[in-house]
Amino acid sequence: MKKLYSNKRVIFSLVAPGLFMFTVAILAPILLSIYYSFTNYSGIGDYWFIGTENYTTLFHDSVFWGALKNSLFLAIGFICIQHPLAIFVAVKLDKLQGKAEGIFRCIYFIPNVISVAVIAYLWKFIYNPNFGLLQKILEFFGYKGTINPLGSGTAIWAVLVVLIWHGFGWGMLIYYTGVKNIDPILYEAAAIDGASGTSTFFRVTLPLMKPVIQVNVTMAIISALKQMETVYLLTDGGPGNETQFMASYLYKQAFSSYKYGYGNAISVIFILICLLANLILQKVFQEKEA
Amino acid sequence: MNSVLSKQSRTKRRIWILVFSVIAFVQLFPLIWLVDFSLCKSNELFTSGILVWPEEIQWKNYILAFRDGHFLHYLGNSLLINTLAVVLVVLISIMASFACTRMHWKLKNVVAVVMVMGMMIPIHATLLPNYVIYDRLKLTDTIWALLIPYVAFSLPQGYFLTSGFMASVPKELEEAALIDGCGVYRVVFTIIMPLLRPSISTVVIMTYLNNWNEFMMATTYLSSDKWKTLPFCILEFTGQYSSNYAVQFAVMALSAAPALIVYIFLNKYITKGVALGAVKG
Repeated sequence: MKKLYSNKRVIFSLVAPGLFMFTVAILAPILLSIYYSFTNYSGIGDYWFIGTENYTTLFHDSVFWGALKNSLFLAIGFICIQHPLAIFVAVKLDKLQGKAEGIFRCIYFIPNVISVAVIAYLWKFIYNPNFGLLQKILEFFGYKGTINPLGSGTAIWAVLVVLIWHGFGWGMLIYYTGVKNIDPILYEAAAIDGASGTSTFFRVTLPLMKPVIQVNVTMAIISALKQMETVYLLTDGGPGNETQFMASYLYKQAFSSYKYGYGNAISVIFILICLLANLILQKVFQEKEA
Repeated sequence: MNSVLSKQSRTKRRIWILVFSVIAFVQLFPLIWLVDFSLCKSNELFTSGILVWPEEIQWKNYILAFRDGHFLHYLGNSLLINTLAVVLVVLISIMASFACTRMHWKLKNVVAVVMVMGMMIPIHATLLPNYVIYDRLKLTDTIWALLIPYVAFSLPQGYFLTSGFMASVPKELEEAALIDGCGVYRVVFTIIMPLLRPSISTVVIMTYLNNWNEFMMATTYLSSDKWKTLPFCILEFTGQYSSNYAVQFAVMALSAAPALIVYIFLNKYITKGVALGAVKG
Protein backbone atom coordinates (compact mmCIF):
# COMPACT_ATOMS: atom_id res chain seq x y z
CA MET A 1 0.00 0.00 0.00
CA LYS A 2 2.86 2.34 0.82
CA LYS A 3 4.08 1.72 -2.69
CA LEU A 4 0.71 2.48 -4.20
CA TYR A 5 0.51 5.70 -2.20
CA SER A 6 3.89 6.94 -3.34
CA ASN A 7 3.41 6.23 -7.03
CA LYS A 8 4.74 9.43 -8.61
CA ARG A 9 2.65 9.17 -11.73
CA VAL A 10 -0.60 8.79 -9.79
CA ILE A 11 0.29 11.67 -7.50
CA PHE A 12 1.11 13.88 -10.43
CA SER A 13 -2.13 13.08 -12.20
CA LEU A 14 -4.09 13.98 -9.06
CA VAL A 15 -2.50 17.35 -8.38
CA ALA A 16 -1.84 18.40 -11.98
CA PRO A 17 -5.31 19.84 -12.71
CA GLY A 18 -5.23 22.00 -9.58
CA LEU A 19 -1.72 23.23 -10.20
CA PHE A 20 -2.56 23.86 -13.83
CA MET A 21 -5.52 26.07 -12.88
CA PHE A 22 -3.40 27.97 -10.39
CA THR A 23 -0.63 28.53 -12.92
CA VAL A 24 -2.88 29.55 -15.79
CA ALA A 25 -5.37 31.74 -13.98
CA ILE A 26 -3.39 33.16 -11.05
CA LEU A 27 0.38 32.81 -11.34
CA ALA A 28 0.80 33.60 -15.05
CA PRO A 29 -1.39 36.72 -14.91
CA ILE A 30 0.51 38.03 -11.92
CA LEU A 31 3.85 37.55 -13.65
CA LEU A 32 2.49 39.17 -16.78
CA SER A 33 1.15 42.03 -14.70
CA ILE A 34 4.60 42.62 -13.23
CA TYR A 35 6.06 42.61 -16.74
CA TYR A 36 3.58 45.13 -18.14
CA SER A 37 3.87 47.33 -15.06
CA PHE A 38 7.35 48.30 -16.28
CA THR A 39 6.09 49.36 -19.70
CA ASN A 40 4.06 52.18 -21.16
CA TYR A 41 1.72 49.82 -23.03
CA SER A 42 -1.56 51.49 -23.89
CA GLY A 43 -3.45 48.34 -24.78
CA ILE A 44 -2.70 48.44 -28.48
CA GLY A 45 0.37 49.06 -30.63
CA ASP A 46 4.01 49.32 -29.59
CA TYR A 47 5.37 49.82 -26.12
CA TRP A 48 8.72 50.03 -24.44
CA PHE A 49 10.19 49.60 -21.01
CA ILE A 50 10.12 52.68 -18.85
CA GLY A 51 11.66 51.23 -15.70
CA THR A 52 9.89 52.06 -12.47
CA GLU A 53 8.21 55.17 -13.81
CA ASN A 54 4.70 53.75 -13.35
CA TYR A 55 5.46 53.04 -9.71
CA THR A 56 6.81 56.52 -9.02
CA THR A 57 3.76 58.03 -10.70
CA LEU A 58 1.56 55.77 -8.62
CA PHE A 59 3.28 56.87 -5.45
CA HIS A 60 2.35 60.48 -6.19
CA ASP A 61 -1.12 59.67 -7.53
CA SER A 62 -3.63 61.23 -5.17
CA VAL A 63 -6.48 59.16 -6.63
CA PHE A 64 -4.69 55.98 -5.65
CA TRP A 65 -4.22 57.17 -2.08
CA GLY A 66 -7.83 58.30 -2.12
CA ALA A 67 -8.81 54.76 -3.12
CA LEU A 68 -6.87 53.35 -0.18
CA LYS A 69 -8.52 55.86 2.10
CA ASN A 70 -11.92 54.80 0.77
CA SER A 71 -11.10 51.18 1.59
CA LEU A 72 -10.12 52.21 5.08
CA PHE A 73 -13.37 54.16 5.38
CA LEU A 74 -15.39 51.10 4.37
CA ALA A 75 -13.45 48.83 6.73
CA ILE A 76 -14.08 51.19 9.64
CA GLY A 77 -17.72 51.50 8.61
CA PHE A 78 -18.12 47.72 8.56
CA ILE A 79 -16.37 47.21 11.87
CA CYS A 80 -18.01 50.07 13.73
CA ILE A 81 -21.55 49.93 12.33
CA GLN A 82 -22.33 46.68 10.57
CA HIS A 83 -20.59 44.24 12.87
CA PRO A 84 -21.71 45.48 16.30
CA LEU A 85 -25.25 45.44 14.94
CA ALA A 86 -24.76 41.97 13.49
CA ILE A 87 -23.35 40.58 16.75
CA PHE A 88 -26.14 42.14 18.75
CA VAL A 89 -28.85 40.76 16.46
CA ALA A 90 -27.18 37.34 16.38
CA VAL A 91 -27.04 37.09 20.17
CA LYS A 92 -30.62 38.23 20.64
CA LEU A 93 -31.92 36.11 17.79
CA ASP A 94 -30.37 33.04 19.39
CA LYS A 95 -32.52 33.62 22.48
CA LEU A 96 -35.73 34.08 20.54
CA GLN A 97 -36.26 30.36 19.86
CA GLY A 98 -39.22 28.96 18.00
CA LYS A 99 -40.29 29.48 14.44
CA ALA A 100 -39.62 33.22 14.42
CA GLU A 101 -35.89 32.63 14.88
CA GLY A 102 -35.63 30.66 11.66
CA ILE A 103 -37.80 33.05 9.70
CA PHE A 104 -35.79 36.13 10.65
CA ARG A 105 -32.51 34.37 9.95
CA CYS A 106 -33.82 33.42 6.54
CA ILE A 107 -35.01 36.96 5.74
CA TYR A 108 -31.81 38.70 6.80
CA PHE A 109 -29.77 36.67 4.35
CA ILE A 110 -31.98 37.39 1.33
CA PRO A 111 -30.08 40.44 -0.01
CA ASN A 112 -26.97 38.24 -0.20
CA VAL A 113 -28.39 35.90 -2.80
CA ILE A 114 -29.36 38.79 -5.05
CA SER A 115 -26.85 39.71 -7.70
CA VAL A 116 -24.67 42.79 -7.24
CA ALA A 117 -25.96 43.97 -10.60
CA VAL A 118 -29.53 44.07 -9.29
CA ILE A 119 -28.44 45.58 -5.97
CA ALA A 120 -26.42 48.35 -7.59
CA TYR A 121 -29.11 49.32 -10.08
CA LEU A 122 -31.83 49.08 -7.45
CA TRP A 123 -29.97 51.45 -5.13
CA LYS A 124 -29.26 53.79 -7.98
CA PHE A 125 -33.03 54.08 -8.30
CA ILE A 126 -33.49 54.36 -4.55
CA TYR A 127 -31.04 57.25 -4.47
CA ASN A 128 -32.55 58.93 -7.53
CA PRO A 129 -33.41 62.53 -6.61
CA ASN A 130 -36.47 62.65 -8.89
CA PHE A 131 -38.41 59.55 -7.99
CA GLY A 132 -36.17 57.55 -5.68
CA LEU A 133 -37.45 55.73 -2.63
CA LEU A 134 -35.27 57.77 -0.28
CA GLN A 135 -36.54 61.04 -1.67
CA LYS A 136 -40.13 59.83 -1.31
CA ILE A 137 -39.61 58.70 2.25
CA LEU A 138 -38.17 62.10 3.13
CA GLU A 139 -41.08 63.83 1.41
CA PHE A 140 -43.45 61.61 3.36
CA PHE A 141 -41.94 63.02 6.55
CA GLY A 142 -42.40 66.53 5.27
CA TYR A 143 -39.00 67.25 3.74
CA LYS A 144 -39.27 69.80 0.94
CA GLY A 145 -35.87 69.84 -0.77
CA THR A 146 -34.26 67.24 -3.00
CA ILE A 147 -31.31 65.14 -2.01
CA ASN A 148 -28.82 63.36 -4.19
CA PRO A 149 -26.87 60.91 -2.05
CA LEU A 150 -24.65 59.95 -4.98
CA GLY A 151 -23.53 63.54 -5.33
CA SER A 152 -20.26 65.00 -4.18
CA GLY A 153 -19.46 64.65 -0.50
CA THR A 154 -22.04 62.01 0.36
CA ALA A 155 -21.36 59.41 -2.35
CA ILE A 156 -18.97 57.34 -0.25
CA TRP A 157 -21.55 57.21 2.55
CA ALA A 158 -24.16 56.14 0.04
CA VAL A 159 -21.85 53.31 -1.04
CA LEU A 160 -21.26 52.31 2.57
CA VAL A 161 -25.00 52.13 3.25
CA VAL A 162 -25.55 49.83 0.27
CA LEU A 163 -22.71 47.54 1.30
CA ILE A 164 -23.84 47.39 4.92
CA TRP A 165 -27.37 46.62 3.81
CA HIS A 166 -26.18 43.98 1.37
CA GLY A 167 -23.65 42.27 3.63
CA PHE A 168 -25.50 42.46 6.94
CA GLY A 169 -27.08 39.01 6.63
CA TRP A 170 -23.77 37.34 5.84
CA GLY A 171 -22.01 38.77 8.88
CA MET A 172 -25.02 38.12 11.08
CA LEU A 173 -25.20 34.50 9.96
CA ILE A 174 -21.59 33.85 10.88
CA TYR A 175 -21.94 35.47 14.29
CA TYR A 176 -25.14 33.53 14.77
CA THR A 177 -23.29 30.27 14.09
CA GLY A 178 -20.70 31.36 16.63
CA VAL A 179 -23.38 32.03 19.24
CA LYS A 180 -25.04 28.68 18.54
CA ASN A 181 -21.76 26.93 19.25
CA ILE A 182 -21.57 28.31 22.77
CA ASP A 183 -22.45 25.69 25.35
CA PRO A 184 -25.73 26.73 27.09
CA ILE A 185 -24.36 25.34 30.36
CA LEU A 186 -22.10 28.39 30.52
CA TYR A 187 -25.11 30.69 30.46
CA GLU A 188 -26.74 28.67 33.21
CA ALA A 189 -23.58 28.88 35.30
CA ALA A 190 -23.45 32.65 34.77
CA ALA A 191 -27.10 32.96 35.77
CA ILE A 192 -26.54 30.90 38.91
CA ASP A 193 -23.60 33.12 39.81
CA GLY A 194 -25.98 36.05 39.55
CA ALA A 195 -24.51 37.66 36.45
CA SER A 196 -26.75 40.23 34.77
CA GLY A 197 -27.65 40.08 31.08
CA THR A 198 -25.10 42.72 30.13
CA SER A 199 -22.22 41.22 32.03
CA THR A 200 -23.05 37.75 30.66
CA PHE A 201 -22.87 39.26 27.17
CA PHE A 202 -19.50 40.94 27.76
CA ARG A 203 -17.88 38.29 29.96
CA VAL A 204 -19.22 35.06 28.48
CA THR A 205 -20.67 35.52 25.01
CA LEU A 206 -18.19 37.96 23.48
CA PRO A 207 -14.98 36.21 24.60
CA LEU A 208 -16.29 32.87 23.36
CA MET A 209 -17.13 34.41 20.02
CA LYS A 210 -13.59 35.64 19.49
CA PRO A 211 -12.73 33.16 16.72
CA VAL A 212 -15.82 34.12 14.70
CA ILE A 213 -15.20 37.80 15.31
CA GLN A 214 -11.67 37.37 13.97
CA VAL A 215 -12.93 35.65 10.85
CA ASN A 216 -15.53 38.33 10.28
CA VAL A 217 -13.22 41.27 10.91
CA THR A 218 -10.65 39.79 8.54
CA MET A 219 -13.31 39.34 5.89
CA ALA A 220 -14.59 42.87 6.40
CA ILE A 221 -11.16 44.41 5.91
CA ILE A 222 -10.29 42.26 2.91
CA SER A 223 -13.62 42.89 1.25
CA ALA A 224 -13.19 46.64 1.83
CA LEU A 225 -9.85 46.43 0.03
CA LYS A 226 -11.27 44.33 -2.79
CA GLN A 227 -14.40 46.43 -3.30
CA MET A 228 -15.17 46.87 -6.97
CA GLU A 229 -18.41 45.52 -8.40
CA THR A 230 -20.94 47.56 -6.42
CA VAL A 231 -18.99 50.75 -6.91
CA TYR A 232 -18.41 50.04 -10.59
CA LEU A 233 -22.13 49.94 -11.29
CA LEU A 234 -23.38 52.36 -8.65
CA THR A 235 -21.03 55.30 -9.03
CA ASP A 236 -18.27 54.19 -11.40
CA GLY A 237 -15.83 55.77 -8.98
CA GLY A 238 -17.49 59.14 -9.21
CA PRO A 239 -18.32 61.89 -8.74
CA GLY A 240 -14.82 62.81 -9.77
CA ASN A 241 -12.83 60.06 -8.15
CA GLU A 242 -14.54 60.28 -4.78
CA THR A 243 -15.62 56.65 -4.60
CA GLN A 244 -12.71 55.14 -6.47
CA PHE A 245 -11.24 51.89 -5.13
CA MET A 246 -8.03 50.17 -6.14
CA ALA A 247 -9.78 47.62 -8.35
CA SER A 248 -12.09 50.09 -10.03
CA TYR A 249 -9.23 52.52 -10.53
CA LEU A 250 -6.94 50.02 -12.22
CA TYR A 251 -9.80 49.04 -14.48
CA LYS A 252 -10.49 52.62 -15.38
CA GLN A 253 -6.84 53.34 -16.09
CA ALA A 254 -6.52 50.34 -18.39
CA PHE A 255 -9.81 50.38 -20.27
CA SER A 256 -10.94 54.02 -20.22
CA SER A 257 -7.68 55.96 -20.05
CA TYR A 258 -5.73 53.43 -22.13
CA LYS A 259 -2.89 53.29 -19.61
CA TYR A 260 -2.63 49.53 -19.56
CA GLY A 261 0.90 49.53 -18.18
CA TYR A 262 -0.07 51.87 -15.39
CA GLY A 263 -3.16 49.80 -14.62
CA ASN A 264 -0.91 46.78 -14.18
CA ALA A 265 1.32 48.67 -11.77
CA ILE A 266 -1.80 49.33 -9.71
CA SER A 267 -2.68 45.61 -9.94
CA VAL A 268 0.73 44.63 -8.59
CA ILE A 269 0.52 47.04 -5.66
CA PHE A 270 -3.08 45.98 -5.09
CA ILE A 271 -1.98 42.34 -4.72
CA LEU A 272 0.85 43.31 -2.40
CA ILE A 273 -1.48 45.34 -0.20
CA CYS A 274 -3.95 42.45 0.05
CA LEU A 275 -1.18 39.99 0.92
CA LEU A 276 0.21 42.38 3.49
CA ALA A 277 -3.21 42.95 5.04
CA ASN A 278 -3.70 39.18 5.30
CA LEU A 279 -0.33 38.73 6.97
CA ILE A 280 -0.81 41.58 9.41
CA LEU A 281 -4.27 40.40 10.42
CA GLN A 282 -2.99 36.88 10.95
CA LYS A 283 -0.14 38.16 13.12
CA VAL A 284 -2.38 40.45 15.13
CA PHE A 285 -4.89 37.72 15.89
CA GLN A 286 -2.22 35.13 16.63
CA GLU A 287 -0.53 37.36 19.18
CA LYS A 288 -3.83 38.01 20.86
CA GLU A 289 -4.39 34.32 21.23
CA ALA A 290 -1.02 33.68 22.79
CA MET B 1 -44.63 34.31 40.86
CA ASN B 2 -44.08 31.96 37.98
CA SER B 3 -46.90 33.39 35.93
CA VAL B 4 -45.70 36.94 36.55
CA LEU B 5 -42.28 36.03 35.25
CA SER B 6 -43.58 34.33 32.17
CA LYS B 7 -45.86 37.27 31.45
CA GLN B 8 -42.91 39.60 31.73
CA SER B 9 -40.79 37.45 29.45
CA ARG B 10 -43.64 37.23 27.00
CA THR B 11 -43.82 41.00 26.62
CA LYS B 12 -40.05 41.05 26.31
CA ARG B 13 -40.27 38.48 23.56
CA ARG B 14 -42.88 40.59 21.78
CA ILE B 15 -40.62 43.62 21.94
CA TRP B 16 -37.74 41.67 20.45
CA ILE B 17 -39.92 40.29 17.68
CA LEU B 18 -40.89 43.89 16.92
CA VAL B 19 -37.22 44.95 16.78
CA PHE B 20 -36.34 42.06 14.50
CA SER B 21 -39.32 42.81 12.32
CA VAL B 22 -38.11 46.36 11.85
CA ILE B 23 -34.71 45.08 10.71
CA ALA B 24 -36.36 42.54 8.43
CA PHE B 25 -38.46 45.35 7.03
CA VAL B 26 -35.36 47.44 6.27
CA GLN B 27 -33.75 44.42 4.59
CA LEU B 28 -36.78 43.63 2.48
CA PHE B 29 -38.38 46.96 1.75
CA PRO B 30 -36.16 47.95 -1.20
CA LEU B 31 -37.10 44.64 -2.82
CA ILE B 32 -40.80 45.19 -2.17
CA TRP B 33 -40.47 48.63 -3.70
CA LEU B 34 -38.76 47.06 -6.71
CA VAL B 35 -41.53 44.52 -7.26
CA ASP B 36 -44.22 47.15 -6.70
CA PHE B 37 -42.96 49.45 -9.43
CA SER B 38 -42.14 46.62 -11.76
CA LEU B 39 -45.90 46.12 -11.99
CA CYS B 40 -46.68 49.79 -12.66
CA LYS B 41 -46.52 52.05 -15.63
CA SER B 42 -43.36 54.13 -15.75
CA ASN B 43 -45.12 57.42 -15.11
CA GLU B 44 -46.66 56.07 -11.91
CA LEU B 45 -43.15 56.12 -10.50
CA PHE B 46 -43.36 59.87 -10.29
CA THR B 47 -46.45 59.96 -8.10
CA SER B 48 -45.89 61.00 -4.54
CA GLY B 49 -46.66 57.88 -2.51
CA ILE B 50 -43.94 55.57 -1.24
CA LEU B 51 -45.70 52.53 -2.62
CA VAL B 52 -48.25 52.69 -5.39
CA TRP B 53 -51.24 50.54 -6.09
CA PRO B 54 -50.95 50.16 -9.88
CA GLU B 55 -54.02 51.31 -11.80
CA GLU B 56 -53.74 48.22 -13.86
CA ILE B 57 -51.14 45.55 -13.18
CA GLN B 58 -48.62 45.71 -15.98
CA TRP B 59 -47.74 42.08 -16.58
CA LYS B 60 -46.46 43.12 -19.94
CA ASN B 61 -43.39 44.64 -18.26
CA TYR B 62 -42.39 41.12 -17.36
CA ILE B 63 -43.20 39.80 -20.81
CA LEU B 64 -40.97 42.50 -22.32
CA ALA B 65 -38.22 41.76 -19.79
CA PHE B 66 -38.47 38.06 -20.43
CA ARG B 67 -38.43 38.34 -24.21
CA ASP B 68 -36.25 41.39 -24.95
CA GLY B 69 -33.99 40.72 -21.99
CA HIS B 70 -33.21 37.28 -23.46
CA PHE B 71 -33.83 35.93 -19.99
CA LEU B 72 -33.76 32.26 -20.93
CA HIS B 73 -30.57 32.60 -22.94
CA TYR B 74 -28.69 34.23 -20.07
CA LEU B 75 -30.18 31.90 -17.49
CA GLY B 76 -29.13 28.90 -19.57
CA ASN B 77 -25.59 30.21 -19.84
CA SER B 78 -25.43 30.88 -16.11
CA LEU B 79 -26.69 27.40 -15.30
CA LEU B 80 -24.30 25.69 -17.70
CA ILE B 81 -21.18 27.66 -16.77
CA ASN B 82 -21.79 27.55 -13.03
CA THR B 83 -22.62 23.86 -13.02
CA LEU B 84 -19.49 23.02 -14.99
CA ALA B 85 -17.44 25.20 -12.67
CA VAL B 86 -18.90 23.52 -9.59
CA VAL B 87 -18.27 20.02 -10.91
CA LEU B 88 -14.68 20.86 -11.84
CA VAL B 89 -14.00 22.56 -8.51
CA VAL B 90 -15.30 19.55 -6.58
CA LEU B 91 -13.36 16.99 -8.61
CA ILE B 92 -10.09 18.90 -8.72
CA SER B 93 -10.27 19.77 -5.01
CA ILE B 94 -10.88 16.19 -3.97
CA MET B 95 -8.09 14.84 -6.15
CA ALA B 96 -5.58 17.38 -4.88
CA SER B 97 -6.72 16.99 -1.27
CA PHE B 98 -6.28 13.25 -1.46
CA ALA B 99 -2.80 13.51 -2.89
CA CYS B 100 -1.76 16.12 -0.34
CA THR B 101 -3.27 14.59 2.79
CA ARG B 102 -3.06 10.84 2.19
CA MET B 103 -0.24 10.06 -0.18
CA HIS B 104 3.48 10.09 0.50
CA TRP B 105 5.71 12.49 -1.41
CA LYS B 106 8.19 15.18 -0.65
CA LEU B 107 6.58 18.32 -2.04
CA LYS B 108 3.10 17.78 -0.69
CA ASN B 109 3.24 20.59 1.83
CA VAL B 110 4.46 23.03 -0.80
CA VAL B 111 1.65 22.06 -3.15
CA ALA B 112 -0.87 22.36 -0.31
CA VAL B 113 0.25 25.96 0.28
CA VAL B 114 0.08 26.75 -3.44
CA MET B 115 -3.46 25.37 -3.62
CA VAL B 116 -4.80 27.78 -0.99
CA MET B 117 -2.68 30.73 -2.02
CA GLY B 118 -5.28 31.95 -4.50
CA MET B 119 -7.48 32.87 -1.55
CA MET B 120 -5.28 35.84 -0.79
CA ILE B 121 -5.05 37.13 -4.36
CA PRO B 122 -7.72 39.69 -5.26
CA ILE B 123 -9.59 38.45 -8.35
CA HIS B 124 -9.80 41.88 -9.90
CA ALA B 125 -6.03 42.28 -9.95
CA THR B 126 -5.93 39.57 -12.62
CA LEU B 127 -8.48 41.25 -14.89
CA LEU B 128 -5.95 43.14 -17.01
CA PRO B 129 -3.34 40.43 -17.59
CA ASN B 130 -5.95 37.72 -18.06
CA TYR B 131 -7.61 39.85 -20.69
CA VAL B 132 -4.35 39.95 -22.65
CA ILE B 133 -3.75 36.22 -22.17
CA TYR B 134 -7.22 35.28 -23.40
CA ASP B 135 -6.91 37.75 -26.23
CA ARG B 136 -3.63 36.21 -27.44
CA LEU B 137 -4.90 32.67 -27.04
CA LYS B 138 -8.10 33.60 -28.89
CA LEU B 139 -10.13 32.59 -25.86
CA THR B 140 -12.04 35.83 -25.41
CA ASP B 141 -15.71 35.38 -26.05
CA THR B 142 -15.51 31.65 -25.39
CA ILE B 143 -16.82 29.69 -22.44
CA TRP B 144 -13.22 29.07 -21.30
CA ALA B 145 -12.67 32.73 -20.54
CA LEU B 146 -15.22 32.38 -17.75
CA LEU B 147 -14.75 28.79 -16.75
CA ILE B 148 -11.00 28.99 -16.13
CA PRO B 149 -11.04 31.94 -13.71
CA TYR B 150 -14.25 30.80 -12.01
CA VAL B 151 -12.74 27.41 -11.28
CA ALA B 152 -9.31 28.77 -10.36
CA PHE B 153 -10.63 31.27 -7.85
CA SER B 154 -13.03 28.81 -6.23
CA LEU B 155 -10.45 26.05 -5.95
CA PRO B 156 -8.60 27.39 -2.89
CA GLN B 157 -11.73 27.28 -0.78
CA GLY B 158 -12.73 23.94 -2.28
CA TYR B 159 -9.35 22.50 -1.46
CA PHE B 160 -9.42 23.97 2.02
CA LEU B 161 -12.82 22.51 2.85
CA THR B 162 -12.25 19.06 1.35
CA SER B 163 -8.76 18.58 2.76
CA GLY B 164 -9.90 19.68 6.20
CA PHE B 165 -12.69 17.15 6.13
CA MET B 166 -10.57 14.40 4.64
CA ALA B 167 -8.37 14.36 7.71
CA SER B 168 -11.37 13.16 9.72
CA VAL B 169 -12.24 10.31 7.35
CA PRO B 170 -10.98 7.00 8.79
CA LYS B 171 -8.29 5.28 6.77
CA GLU B 172 -9.48 1.71 7.39
CA LEU B 173 -12.03 1.73 4.59
CA GLU B 174 -9.63 2.72 1.85
CA GLU B 175 -6.98 0.38 3.23
CA ALA B 176 -9.39 -2.53 2.94
CA ALA B 177 -10.23 -1.49 -0.60
CA LEU B 178 -6.58 -1.22 -1.57
CA ILE B 179 -5.87 -4.68 -0.19
CA ASP B 180 -8.73 -5.97 -2.34
CA GLY B 181 -6.82 -4.64 -5.34
CA CYS B 182 -8.65 -1.37 -5.86
CA GLY B 183 -6.64 1.34 -7.63
CA VAL B 184 -6.01 4.77 -6.17
CA TYR B 185 -8.41 6.50 -8.57
CA ARG B 186 -11.20 4.14 -7.65
CA VAL B 187 -10.51 4.69 -3.97
CA VAL B 188 -10.74 8.44 -4.45
CA PHE B 189 -13.93 8.47 -6.49
CA THR B 190 -15.89 5.54 -5.10
CA ILE B 191 -14.87 5.41 -1.45
CA ILE B 192 -13.61 8.82 -0.37
CA MET B 193 -15.98 10.98 -2.39
CA PRO B 194 -19.24 9.61 -0.94
CA LEU B 195 -17.81 10.03 2.56
CA LEU B 196 -17.05 13.67 1.87
CA ARG B 197 -20.65 14.51 1.06
CA PRO B 198 -21.13 17.15 3.79
CA SER B 199 -18.08 19.13 2.77
CA ILE B 200 -18.85 18.69 -0.93
CA SER B 201 -22.24 20.30 -0.42
CA THR B 202 -20.54 23.23 1.29
CA VAL B 203 -18.14 23.57 -1.63
CA VAL B 204 -21.03 23.43 -4.10
CA ILE B 205 -22.98 26.13 -2.27
CA MET B 206 -19.99 28.45 -1.86
CA THR B 207 -18.90 28.04 -5.47
CA TYR B 208 -22.38 28.79 -6.74
CA LEU B 209 -22.74 31.83 -4.51
CA ASN B 210 -19.33 33.16 -5.55
CA ASN B 211 -19.80 32.77 -9.26
CA TRP B 212 -23.51 32.99 -9.94
CA ASN B 213 -23.62 36.76 -9.68
CA GLU B 214 -20.16 37.48 -11.06
CA PHE B 215 -20.11 39.93 -13.94
CA MET B 216 -16.81 41.83 -13.84
CA MET B 217 -14.82 39.08 -15.54
CA ALA B 218 -17.69 38.36 -17.89
CA THR B 219 -17.83 42.03 -18.88
CA THR B 220 -14.12 42.08 -19.53
CA TYR B 221 -13.55 38.79 -21.30
CA LEU B 222 -16.74 38.51 -23.34
CA SER B 223 -17.83 40.78 -26.14
CA SER B 224 -20.76 39.05 -27.79
CA ASP B 225 -23.91 37.75 -26.19
CA LYS B 226 -23.08 34.12 -26.75
CA TRP B 227 -21.82 33.18 -23.29
CA LYS B 228 -22.96 36.12 -21.21
CA THR B 229 -24.59 35.23 -17.92
CA LEU B 230 -27.66 36.32 -15.99
CA PRO B 231 -26.38 39.68 -14.66
CA PHE B 232 -26.22 40.82 -18.31
CA CYS B 233 -29.94 40.47 -18.53
CA ILE B 234 -29.92 43.75 -16.57
CA LEU B 235 -26.73 45.34 -17.88
CA GLU B 236 -27.71 44.96 -21.53
CA PHE B 237 -31.37 45.64 -21.03
CA THR B 238 -31.09 48.93 -19.16
CA GLY B 239 -29.28 50.43 -22.12
CA GLN B 240 -31.99 49.27 -24.48
CA TYR B 241 -34.92 50.55 -22.40
CA SER B 242 -33.17 53.41 -20.69
CA SER B 243 -36.27 55.58 -20.33
CA ASN B 244 -38.75 52.87 -19.46
CA TYR B 245 -38.05 52.50 -15.75
CA ALA B 246 -40.86 50.12 -14.94
CA VAL B 247 -39.59 47.56 -17.45
CA GLN B 248 -36.10 47.93 -16.00
CA PHE B 249 -37.56 47.15 -12.59
CA ALA B 250 -39.21 44.09 -14.06
CA VAL B 251 -35.98 42.82 -15.57
CA MET B 252 -34.20 43.30 -12.25
CA ALA B 253 -36.86 41.42 -10.33
CA LEU B 254 -36.88 38.70 -12.96
CA SER B 255 -33.15 38.13 -12.95
CA ALA B 256 -33.02 38.06 -9.16
CA ALA B 257 -35.79 35.47 -9.07
CA PRO B 258 -33.94 32.20 -9.83
CA ALA B 259 -31.40 32.56 -7.02
CA LEU B 260 -34.09 33.79 -4.66
CA ILE B 261 -36.41 30.87 -5.38
CA VAL B 262 -33.59 28.37 -4.90
CA TYR B 263 -32.66 30.11 -1.65
CA ILE B 264 -36.19 30.00 -0.29
CA PHE B 265 -36.39 26.26 -0.88
CA LEU B 266 -32.90 25.38 0.28
CA ASN B 267 -32.29 28.12 2.84
CA LYS B 268 -31.44 25.70 5.63
CA TYR B 269 -28.71 24.04 3.60
CA ILE B 270 -27.44 27.28 2.15
CA THR B 271 -27.14 29.12 5.46
CA LYS B 272 -25.46 26.07 6.98
CA GLY B 273 -23.09 25.80 4.04
CA VAL B 274 -22.16 29.47 4.20
CA ALA B 275 -21.59 29.34 7.93
CA LEU B 276 -19.31 26.32 7.57
CA GLY B 277 -17.56 27.64 4.49
CA ALA B 278 -16.92 31.11 5.85
CA VAL B 279 -15.67 30.03 9.23
CA LYS B 280 -13.35 27.41 7.84
CA GLY B 281 -12.38 29.24 4.66
